[in-house]
Amino acid sequence: MNNRPAEPVGSHPDNRLPVPIHRDRSWLEDLESRLDKGGPWGDWRLSKLAVEGEKARLVTSFEELQCLKHIGDLSPLPHQTDTARRVLFEMSGRAILADEVGLGKTIEAGLILKEYMVRGLVSKVLILVPASLVLQWVRELNSKFGIPAVAQKKMYSWENDIVVASMDTAKRDPHSEILLNREYDMLIIDEAHKLKNKKTSNYKFIEKLRKKYCLLLTATPVQNDLSELFNLITLLKPGQLGGQGQFAANFVVDKRKPKNQDQLKDELSKVMIRNRRGESDVAFTKRTVRNVGLNLSPDEQALYDGVTSFVKDQYQAAGGNLSSMLSLVTLQREVCSSRDAVFVTLVNLSKKLPEDSPLRDKIWELVYLIKNIKANTKAEKTIELIREMNEKVIVFTEYRATQEYLLNYFRDHGLISVPYRGGMNRGKKDWMMDLFRGRAQVMIATEAGGEGINLQFCHHMINFDLPWNPMRVEQRIGRVHRLGQTNDVKIFNLSTSGTIEEHILNLLHEKINMFEMVIGGLDVILERYEKKESIEKSLYKIMLESGNDDEIRQRLHSLGDSLEHIRRDLEQQNISEPLREEEA
Amino acid sequence: MTMTPQEVQEHFMTYLEATECSVIEKSSEHVTVKLSPQADKMLTNRPYYWGFVERTGAPAETLSFTFVFDPTKYDEALAKQQKNSASPAGQGQDPVLSRYYGTAPLLPVLGPGRIQREDVTYGSSRLAQIWNAAREEGKCVYLFQQPSAPAAQRGRSTAYEQWLGVCFKVEFSCDLKREELHFLGISMSSRAIIEHFPAVLEGRELHPRLPERVHVKPAVLTLTEAAALLEDYLIEKLSRLDYGWAAQARERLKQELAVIDGYYEDLLKEEDEEKKALIAEQYENRKSEMQWQYEPKVSLSAITSGLFHLCSPVSASS
Repeated sequence: MNNRPAEPVGSHPDNRLPVPIHRDRSWLEDLESRLDKGGPWGDWRLSKLAVEGEKARLVTSFEELQCLKHIGDLSPLPHQTDTARRVLFEMSGRAILADEVGLGKTIEAGLILKEYMVRGLVSKVLILVPASLVLQWVRELNSKFGIPAVAQKKMYSWENDIVVASMDTAKRDPHSEILLNREYDMLIIDEAHKLKNKKTSNYKFIEKLRKKYCLLLTATPVQNDLSELFNLITLLKPGQLGGQGQFAANFVVDKRKPKNQDQLKDELSKVMIRNRRGESDVAFTKRTVRNVGLNLSPDEQALYDGVTSFVKDQYQAAGGNLSSMLSLVTLQREVCSSRDAVFVTLVNLSKKLPEDSPLRDKIWELVYLIKNIKANTKAEKTIELIREMNEKVIVFTEYRATQEYLLNYFRDHGLISVPYRGGMNRGKKDWMMDLFRGRAQVMIATEAGGEGINLQFCHHMINFDLPWNPMRVEQRIGRVHRLGQTNDVKIFNLSTSGTIEEHILNLLHEKINMFEMVIGGLDVILERYEKKESIEKSLYKIMLESGNDDEIRQRLHSLGDSLEHIRRDLEQQNISEPLREEEA
Repeated sequence: MTMTPQEVQEHFMTYLEATECSVIEKSSEHVTVKLSPQADKMLTNRPYYWGFVERTGAPAETLSFTFVFDPTKYDEALAKQQKNSASPAGQGQDPVLSRYYGTAPLLPVLGPGRIQREDVTYGSSRLAQIWNAAREEGKCVYLFQQPSAPAAQRGRSTAYEQWLGVCFKVEFSCDLKREELHFLGISMSSRAIIEHFPAVLEGRELHPRLPERVHVKPAVLTLTEAAALLEDYLIEKLSRLDYGWAAQARERLKQELAVIDGYYEDLLKEEDEEKKALIAEQYENRKSEMQWQYEPKVSLSAITSGLFHLCSPVSASS
């Protein structure tokens, strides 16, 4: 064997192997050139270390998850590693990750990406997410997975190996041209349900991008129409469900109603993984909700009545013109929160009016009513509740002014509290979180959405006032009731009787059963409801148009009914049923 | 595989010692070290700073780090230490600041004197960086075995044999991947090939300088020929492996291609020539993406290589 004649140098197929072989001979050139020049030569200890290092990270098996050893502190949940395994070994790296909200799709995507990177199969990565999530993705990939992702900021950012960008940026010129001229080992798209329509520029852009592996993340793969699902899958694996015509013929009865469910389930399970809360290993703790009814003090009631009649008068004077009136309802809501909140709005309102407007006088009358108010019933109750629970608690309010008021009020009563709001920069937000984790008993937050507030260490929550959009209520709860929460979560809703607040709480609690219901279903219901009109607008209308409390109650009742109807509709149509391939 | 904190520390110490970094403090959980210029250039990603130093001749100030290999134990030890030495008035407080602001944390020391702590475990990018730096600086070696007895006692000149040693990395990839390492050696004078070359090197003290009173046997192979022989030997060996994985990957590819063939067959009946062209282009793109994703291949590269001059005879174990 030793005397076999030397083969010509180069890279070409070798007929002894059933697959093409590529030989990298750069080492030989390197060695020869150093021989010519008489060095420089490497250190033998380092040479050995290099081999040891290579051994230590050698991927010795096609089918064993390597990434788990590389991620240190992070210990993914069983359903997350299972998902990663299936995507790698059964789906060859092209999949829709469709877990319900809160089960950690980002973790799953991170595991899959890390695994491919460890295996050296992926180095160029493009991650497209909604603009508000760009930084969160960058942070999570870096801190949890040690993946050096960067946020796209300038043109040269595209030169990085792993870039996180917003879809809106990426699809625009001149960015799109750059991206379409490259090839990506992996493409990840978060909130991929936005790609449901074939005709949109987003869809066409993604269709054209050249990619090897591809992950689409969405909690709601189907919202209205089965063809959305078809479109999503066509991005990944065209033809998986047949052509458009075949798909319609084989699987669709009505656009919302599938047929041949078993077969559809089967086909879907080849490209999509959907873990559900009920079925996963994730034990979510319980939520208990207590509605705390309060009576406004006579002074506060006087202000509320004053504001209410002011709003009604204005509405009638405007001849029922709704759009300009919407903000007036806010006044009523604000009275239920704090006098400070309503004061700020009133002052701003009067500033906008001409000097001689008679309305100014009316507004000033209201301001005088404000001056009479000496105490805030809700704030007193809140302190009482906080003292009772004697644990960390997050207080949510809709209004900046209320937040400021509460900070002062709590401080005067010897309670340490920290603020949190959307306008703070990242560093300040992190700082406030740290203070809350450490020294402060109370956090007062005006913002629940957006990124990065994960407060699993706290399991008490007080809704000082309520948003009118149920999704925002859910976002608030989601800050504490999430993966990693080990205690049952206690939610307190403050509501003042005889006010619009009471009506809204009634709707959210009794009708939508918002506080016990687990998310996932809610966004679908709302999206369908809001095809007609946004829920907040519906509520504003009801509040303005109704002559009396009974009418409000009735109209809210029917709104609740229509939401309930949609929900039952969804359940009946079984729209999500075929997606539940994890069952059985 | 994975590595214990001790193993990680050993790897680190090997690198730090080989690059002549000065160790300030060391325990079984950590090492505090001031990097040498060589290590600083490889590890701290400061090309502008080093460019400045080289252009201006300014004295170089390297960075210092505390690398912690077992963070839990280290923190415990640290806490214990602090407890023992803590004064009641808040250790580490700036007295002036705390008078005005209550408890104020000690301001972090910035600049050259600052020692940054970094936890290093298996999987951390710093460890990978150490390995990559080691590979960069150790990829080509030229070494001589040190004779066991001093030259004076040996009488006549000892015959040395020149060996080409190469650590090959073999990557078998399709949509998945597996790797193997093969450290082979070939004698430049006898063409003998040794399959597990490190076993031969084991126990021999290797040094870059030619010792006294030795002579190297003439080579009958050129470097290129020797390299080709090694590759050939390796490929012969690889050809005896199971390639079921490649057949499976091709099967997957075939199935996937069949699916899209079916899908585009209908679409390509499009009458409008312009639209049809677009669809055809998309079809081709999708097909080539799939080839890229699934097509099985083997690639051969070298982690390190070098010429080793060893005291003959070398007992070839293979």
